[in-house]
Amino acid sequence: MLCKLAWGNVRRAGHDYLVYLLTLTLAVIVFYAFNTVSIQIDFATMEQGLSELLGGIIRGLTVFLALVMGFLMVYANNFIMKRRKKEFGLYQVLGMSRGQVSRIMALETAIVSGCALVLGIAFGVALSWLMTFFTASLFKAQISGFHFFFSVDAFLWTAGCLVTIFLVTLLFNLRVVRRAKIIDLMHAERQNELIKVRNPWISALLFMAGVVLIGVAYYRLLRDGLPVDAVPEELDTKMLDFWITTLMVTIGTILFFFGLSGFLLKVLQSVRALYWRGLNMVTMRQLSAKVNTVSFSMAVIAMILFLAITSVTGGMSIASAMNSNLERWTPADYCCTLIYYRAPSSGEDSIGRIAADEGETTVSEPVDLFKESANNTIVSTGEPFDLSRIASKHVQTNFYDSTPDDSSEPLISLNDLCLAADLPLPVGMENADSNTMGLMVIKESNYNEYLKFRGMDTVDLGSDGYLLTCDMGSTITGIYDQVMHKGTLLEMGTFQLHPKADQVDIEASAFMISGMGGNSGTIVVPDEVVDACNLPLYVSDLLVDYKKGLPYGEAEQYVQEKREYNDPSTSEGKVYGLWGVENTRLEAYEGANNMNGLVSYLAIYIGFVLVVACAAILSIQQLSGVADSGKNCRILSELGTARREIMHSVLVQQAIFFCAPLVVGIAHSLVALRVVIEIVELFGGLSIGGTVGMTCAIFLLSYGGYFLVAYAMSKGIVRDAISLRHAA
Amino acid sequence: MTQGISGLGSTAPVLAAQHVEKVYGGRSNVTRALTDVSFTVEKGEFVGIMGASGSGKSTLLNCVSTIDSVTSGSVLINGADVTRMKSDRLTRFRREQLGFIFQDSNLLDTLTARENIALPLTIARVPAAQTLDRVEQVAQRLNITGVLGKYPYQLSGGQQQRVAAARALVTDPAIIMADEPTGALDSKNARLLLESFETMNQRYQATVLMVTHDSFAASYSNRVLFIRDGRLFTELRRGSTSRREFFDRIMEVVAMMGGEGSDAL
Repeated sequence: MLCKLAWGNVRRAGHDYLVYLLTLTLAVIVFYAFNTVSIQIDFATMEQGLSELLGGIIRGLTVFLALVMGFLMVYANNFIMKRRKKEFGLYQVLGMSRGQVSRIMALETAIVSGCALVLGIAFGVALSWLMTFFTASLFKAQISGFHFFFSVDAFLWTAGCLVTIFLVTLLFNLRVVRRAKIIDLMHAERQNELIKVRNPWISALLFMAGVVLIGVAYYRLLRDGLPVDAVPEELDTKMLDFWITTLMVTIGTILFFFGLSGFLLKVLQSVRALYWRGLNMVTMRQLSAKVNTVSFSMAVIAMILFLAITSVTGGMSIASAMNSNLERWTPADYCCTLIYYRAPSSGEDSIGRIAADEGETTVSEPVDLFKESANNTIVSTGEPFDLSRIASKHVQTNFYDSTPDDSSEPLISLNDLCLAADLPLPVGMENADSNTMGLMVIKESNYNEYLKFRGMDTVDLGSDGYLLTCDMGSTITGIYDQVMHKGTLLEMGTFQLHPKADQVDIEASAFMISGMGGNSGTIVVPDEVVDACNLPLYVSDLLVDYKKGLPYGEAEQYVQEKREYNDPSTSEGKVYGLWGVENTRLEAYEGANNMNGLVSYLAIYIGFVLVVACAAILSIQQLSGVADSGKNCRILSELGTARREIMHSVLVQQAIFFCAPLVVGIAHSLVALRVVIEIVELFGGLSIGGTVGMTCAIFLLSYGGYFLVAYAMSKGIVRDAISLRHAA
Repeated sequence: MTQGISGLGSTAPVLAAQHVEKVYGGRSNVTRALTDVSFTVEKGEFVGIMGASGSGKSTLLNCVSTIDSVTSGSVLINGADVTRMKSDRLTRFRREQLGFIFQDSNLLDTLTARENIALPLTIARVPAAQTLDRVEQVAQRLNITGVLGKYPYQLSGGQQQRVAAARALVTDPAIIMADEPTGALDSKNARLLLESFETMNQRYQATVLMVTHDSFAASYSNRVLFIRDGRLFTELRRGSTSRREFFDRIMEVVAMMGGEGSDAL
């Protein structure tokens, strides 16, 4: 009997339950789809730090998504409860016990939640399938490790989450039914019609205050930038400044929406011919009454949209910047490095240098890595690792520390060059460690060997020339460009060196294979300068191209064989350094693709979830608002307003509701992105457009889609309200 | 009973209902709400419609005021048959020719009293200056100039009803339809409202059709139509008698019809 009643109720109150169903379905879709993706990320193939970081982000996001889902369910639940309270009161008046009423309600909610789970999973599977195709087409290669399949884990996660939230909302509802007096249940609809009207002058003032606060916050952000680059001593004050700016923009946004309706009302009222025309004043008054009650959630939505837009654009531009530079950063098929110990007697510890311990030694001449690597044995066969089996040609570059053995000050540091170029230190490199760090030095003859290997023209520095090289983003490269462009004279020991070019050749600057640039600054000088200045050996890089006749996979497999490394040592058995990074072009590409894929997946998902959640909240608010204003629509109709005009008024109201947070969110993002872009440029050139543009377009489409759905449903509600005959 | 004659002309009635029938429900369960109701309202008349609850008086008002459709028969307002009008045309007609006052004042709660009264004019795209002038005038007639800037929830029930009356009057409609306008008012406010109806009718020649179950309210009109079980039962004309005498005569008919209305006063 109760089941029958519950089922009947769900069908009869279909209109209200449709909103509930849609919201739940949406939450399930997003939650399931996100979980299928996050479960597929293969942490084993990543570096330790990265996998921990990403694992943390994904766990955090899952919790965040669960919260969003919970919030949506509670919101949708309240929407239903507000409409059903009277009925539940009526059941009690008719003599049903509270327990029976509670059971009806639980059954109703269970029916709808069950439908939502089924629909949500079905669409969620479809969505993750689409996303796999979408992201694969965005990036050059298929993202390895991501395949489409039905994820049981994700399903269980989603179902578990839904059930938990369901139980929580159910408890909440039961409490309402148990505690509430019958009279309150019966009058629930009336209670909610309390209209809050604020003094429009105060509203207008609040609005102005909000605009001023936001403006000042914009100015402060553009002036100060993000605090990621602060030196430790200044970090606290910079963070404080940043938090003050954040607080200002938050309060400003809240005030903005608090006063928005009053301000608009005042402006429109001052134009009499416009205000006293058609339904304009009705539209404005309804809007201001509604905005007053939901101004806070509009402010929150504007901030969430701001986060979504910024994270998506920022994240995806980092990914695409990396992608576009990958070719430059992979000068060969295989590379390995050797780091030399420094003399224990030499000055202070400098970054990245390891002093030789007791029983270890240092060398003054570079070691041939091609031969030296044969000291490492392949574990499976016990044979020496013989690069000549796979190499067609190779080149070794040797780098010297610009801090001489008997000094603690580098001859050339980034800080010196910035002073010479009259430029500030780049964002992200302002701390004490990196600005006093010396540049690396390479001999001209060695650099020419490298250029030949790359198939490029050699350079001639003469007796007093220098060149600067760097394969990082334009922020750092720009400094070197400026130094050379100005013809800056550099002093090294007794030598006065002049620039031989007026900008960095970034194509001839990558000495090792990396996913995001490995050369933050190397100076090429005539051989005798290095010898005369007594510069110590720092590191040697070996670049190897595979044999042409050999299948690429075979060569790659050979270098990937697990090996036992023997520390490089002299003929007396004294260790003088250690093996460093080993990398292949394929690994770099795969790593970058995975990284790109991951960043994009996360960015798209976070953004998508946030945008969809915002749009869903707005839609539900709109629909419940329209349902409440049914009486007003009826009055307008009876006064002789055409339905077209009433719908137009509803459309304008909804458009403002949807657009205002979006516009504010976009404005915030544009300002924030100007600052984010500086950071992104450290990684390479920035390209907003292409994938980012496409993603944003998709977001806007889904946001707009929600708007259209909400409007279409409002139309139905208004039509019903008008056709209801006025009953006196 | 005067039969309405269709056609235009200065002597034509403002409203003429001819053989109006209203049937609810489908084939199996037919409810006959109105059966062959015919009457007319002349220009400048103040007509009351009385009947017990369920007698069909509100259905009749809804049918002649274009809010509900009739099953058969015709309703002519200023010579135009509203039962044959299409929805769009009807909306315009309602806006231009009719004024409504309901039991609950049906004011838009987000608008001030001034804006509520101005609404029918702004909907009809009357220029702003003229709109505000006319609102001022009608407010003066109904003695509500002091509350124009207030919101409905700040007004008493009586003030709300007078604002609603002002809204009905502001377009200068052919006929004002009032459905139980005093139903939610206490006796003092009810009297104030009825007196303003009387003023509107006598001094400004407004035509009023008022449905009520309250004999006291009905005694303010010139003529009362009695409805029972969906049929016109009888009608009373006030003539030159005083309101008090008219009230007594109404009470007699009410008693004869079955005692409904004794709760008035």
